[in-house]
Amino acid sequence: MATIYQNLQSLVSTDRHFSFNARQFVEENITRSWTLTLWLVILTYVTVQFAIGELLTEPILTTIVLVVWLGTVAWTALNEVTRQHVPVTFWLKNNLYSSITNVLLTLLLTLLIISFLRGFIGWAVVRASFSTNPEVAEETLAEYGDPGANWGAVIDNLGQMAIYRYPRGEVANLYLALALLVVLAVPSIIIFRSERYRKSLLRRALTLAWVTLPLVVWFLLRGIDYWRIAAVIAAIVVVYVVGSAASAWARQRGAVIRTAASLLWVLLAVGLVVLTANLTGVSDSVAYETWGGFLLTIVISVFAIAVSFPIGLVMALGRRSTIRGVPAWLTYLIALGIMIWGLLYSTPANLEAARTPTEQLYAYWPLAVPVIAFLFQRYFAGNVLALFSTMYIEMVRGVPLITVLFMSVILFPIFLPPGMEFPATLRVMAAAALFSAAYLAENVRGGLQSIPQGQYEAADAIGLSTYQKYRLIILPQALRAVIPAIVGQFIGLFKDTTLVAIVGLTDLLGTANNISAQPDWLGVRREPYVFIAIVYFVGSAIMAGYSRRLERELGVGER
Amino acid sequence: MAELSPKSPRRSQESIPFWRDIRILGVLAQIAFVILFLLAAGWLLGNVVQNLDTLGENQFLCRDGSSSLRCAFDWLRLDAAFDISETLIDYDPSDPYGRALVVGVLNTVRVTVIGIILATLLGTFAGIARLSDNWLVNSVAKWYVDLFRNTPLLVQLFFIFFGVILVFPAIREAIQPFGLPLYLSQRGINLAWPVVMPSWPVWLAFIVLGIIQAQVLWVFLGRREERTGKESNRALWAVLSFLLVVVVGWFVTSANAESQGMLVPNSLRVRDFRDVEDVMVRRLGLASLGEFDVALDTGQLSQDTVDNSAFSVCAIEDSPAEPNLTAEFRGSSIPYTIAERAGRPDEATEAYAAGECEIFTANLAVLAAERNLLENPNDHLIITVPETPLRIDIPRIEGLNFTGGLKLSPNFAAILLGLVLYTGAFIAEIVRAGIQSVAKGQTEAARALGLSESQRLRLVVLPQALRVIIPPMTSQYLNLAKNSSLAIAVGFPDLWSTAFTTLNQSGRAVQVFVLVMAFYLTLSLSISFLLNWYNRRIALVER
Repeated sequence: MATIYQNLQSLVSTDRHFSFNARQFVEENITRSWTLTLWLVILTYVTVQFAIGELLTEPILTTIVLVVWLGTVAWTALNEVTRQHVPVTFWLKNNLYSSITNVLLTLLLTLLIISFLRGFIGWAVVRASFSTNPEVAEETLAEYGDPGANWGAVIDNLGQMAIYRYPRGEVANLYLALALLVVLAVPSIIIFRSERYRKSLLRRALTLAWVTLPLVVWFLLRGIDYWRIAAVIAAIVVVYVVGSAASAWARQRGAVIRTAASLLWVLLAVGLVVLTANLTGVSDSVAYETWGGFLLTIVISVFAIAVSFPIGLVMALGRRSTIRGVPAWLTYLIALGIMIWGLLYSTPANLEAARTPTEQLYAYWPLAVPVIAFLFQRYFAGNVLALFSTMYIEMVRGVPLITVLFMSVILFPIFLPPGMEFPATLRVMAAAALFSAAYLAENVRGGLQSIPQGQYEAADAIGLSTYQKYRLIILPQALRAVIPAIVGQFIGLFKDTTLVAIVGLTDLLGTANNISAQPDWLGVRREPYVFIAIVYFVGSAIMAGYSRRLERELGVGER
Repeated sequence: MAELSPKSPRRSQESIPFWRDIRILGVLAQIAFVILFLLAAGWLLGNVVQNLDTLGENQFLCRDGSSSLRCAFDWLRLDAAFDISETLIDYDPSDPYGRALVVGVLNTVRVTVIGIILATLLGTFAGIARLSDNWLVNSVAKWYVDLFRNTPLLVQLFFIFFGVILVFPAIREAIQPFGLPLYLSQRGINLAWPVVMPSWPVWLAFIVLGIIQAQVLWVFLGRREERTGKESNRALWAVLSFLLVVVVGWFVTSANAESQGMLVPNSLRVRDFRDVEDVMVRRLGLASLGEFDVALDTGQLSQDTVDNSAFSVCAIEDSPAEPNLTAEFRGSSIPYTIAERAGRPDEATEAYAAGECEIFTANLAVLAAERNLLENPNDHLIITVPETPLRIDIPRIEGLNFTGGLKLSPNFAAILLGLVLYTGAFIAEIVRAGIQSVAKGQTEAARALGLSESQRLRLVVLPQALRVIIPPMTSQYLNLAKNSSLAIAVGFPDLWSTAFTTLNQSGRAVQVFVLVMAFYLTLSLSISFLLNWYNRRIALVER
């Protein structure tokens, strides 16, 4: 109250110094250049037209806006002229009324926003129905000539949108998975944050638990019974403990024993894979086809993110690798061999069968082989690793995700031997991961390029092995530099999971599409889309917020 | 993992046995990898051949009935037997698959090119709005960017298509936002669009002339400024002189253009085009056509009278004569109806002879020829219709559809709108970051040098901002091109949509995928090549 009183007092106080030169004002703000004058005329015309239109449709609200606008403009102008701003007018002057253009734009935009909000709120709240009973909803909506949203359709289908056809008897598994996540997350926040636990056993155990978690969650989603899951966990722990003990013991021994210890590791891991493969094959599990809704969206996103990361990393390193390639003489030798073989055995037959000049040209394909060999040597110096990584990355990045997804659904079965089948869900998940890997590789490559050569040389100078060099020196810096890009890409991936709805899976968008086909909610389209748009918006916002925090904590751009 | 960074060769004299030399091992591993890859590829190809055999239909059927891998793409010559709703070139279900795919390619290119242009405009606008010192403008732009960047494109597309465009009112109640000549209805978006008249090339020559002389004037004034040290408003003079040439050119071209005409019976008592107005004034019983709107509002003139006395016009489909005549009629508010729109001149003449219409409009040469075919050519008169190089064609409801103007189908409107809004939000952030990347000192230095605002933007800020903007912009353009494949979700027949239908009809999965992938790769590579070339041109010349 005090401020308002003071404001009023300052408004009526007489010791104000007017210093206003109308001619100078007009010159500075209107006639400075002919483009400005023209622009102001157009803007004024549009604003006045729009304001009149609004006055006719919504007289009271528009009048209030106009009065408030006029009042604040006058107040700000007065305080500006007398050089006696109060905080409010100071803010108004800087942010809304800094020039004639802005004064007009503020009014125009306020009116536009109000008319938009009026329309939206009228649709979403005032004229809307929230009843899950279709008959009641219909009655409510029939009261209005221009009916609003039918939110009942969304509320009624929340379960569908969350887990689609996941067997309701197995829902306990989902809760268990969620609970596991929380149980792991809470101590992790403390333990991974604090320096005190840096070398502790607790931290290692927790790391192992995080590594195991995806597998366990997967089993839970598949509805495999708890004893088998416990067996798998036990197997993993045994492999880990035995493996680390063996490698610790072998570290002091000779090369032979070290190799033997590694072999033991591999054998145990393979045994584990076989064990789990057998377990997942059991018949009483939840079918992949029942996964859907938000559950499927999350599963695909998390799977694609988790799998694409290591693949993308390897691909990025591969593309940048400067490892010695296949020597030029060997490349040309092989190319010449293929060319001669082709010219002798393939070309004559093809030439004979050719019907058009184009086909005759195709028959001479062996001549292209040395050219390809030359290009391979010229641009990749014979480096097969770089060639394959580059080709993969550029090809995947050059085609749309939707074609890749369709490929996984339609084309992939054709590439498998007859009788071998994968569920469509798995195929789509793999496609999303492989697609994402190519983009991730480019992001990581960007990070690697930002590392100065000196870092590599320093790592070599202190005698680190290649693995240590990348693990300890290069990658931590490179990845930190590209956190925003990687998170941005993961947000993109999260949004792109909606495309699986086109290839026949029922993700969140798929369930939203289904609602309009339900007899109760025939043709209800907008409401589910608005709802899932909000879900995606919140999801993306959380990821973006986490990225910003991570950046701050790791001090990107500071160190 | 193999060696990944350069390492200087060993200095020591003792040679390592080759099975422990990591360089040789690396090469061997690479060769082994290639061999493994080839084996795997061979295995997959074997599976494909085997699976295609069991699929029943012969995938490699040649035209002569034999079967060979050579003929893997011969099916492109078979009849497509499916219809495509929107085509840029003539297409018929009896055309081959190859042509159907070309139709799809053209549709993809169309949506991509228009989308890139519009998204760039919208994005630049929103990006600059993001930097506005008006808090409201700033926040609205921020909300737009955040909302569209953080929700999936597909959801936006579905919402725009099913939630907005398909629930537009029926054609009779089409929405006309802000009174613009733009109609939103279930048939999509119809908007006024200029139509090119036969005299257009003449005016185009004037425009080119105007550009050249504006350039000359610009250079001349620049030299004079340098010589005398006196400032002159170069931009204003250049633009004014350009406008002068263009406007004069418009009138000169219009005055001399005599290619469009109309055929009227003598009984209509029209000797000159200006008589048309008098005839209508007499029919309506008004003093002049200027009172038309007022009379209609006050009820002095009933809609029935107007409908009855409107001129009925016969025209030839897709000829410029019709928009030319109707624009002229609209200009002086003469009511008219299009009675017949014939595919060929003789059909239109027949309709005219049968009395279906009072006016037959076409170009003069056609009219002269057609008049001689009438029973009594002397009873009919050919009148020259005034012409301007461009005519605005406004959409009108005729029967159950809109005619005239530019027509955007609901599907095309949905995919275009979705792509533009989505990509525009990303471009806005790029533009904002680009402009912000120019250090504040640059602006201050420009001001200190006494550059004007426009000079500062044009000469100092923009060249530096563009260097930051172009590379990410490239990837946004690529994304737009690739995202256009989502057209299948809203039923627009772009390449992927037609290819998918082709795939289902012909069963040639592998070949269709090869073609589609090849096209998208080419499209992506050409966009990135173009922009990389542009980027090299404007990139910082490092010294």
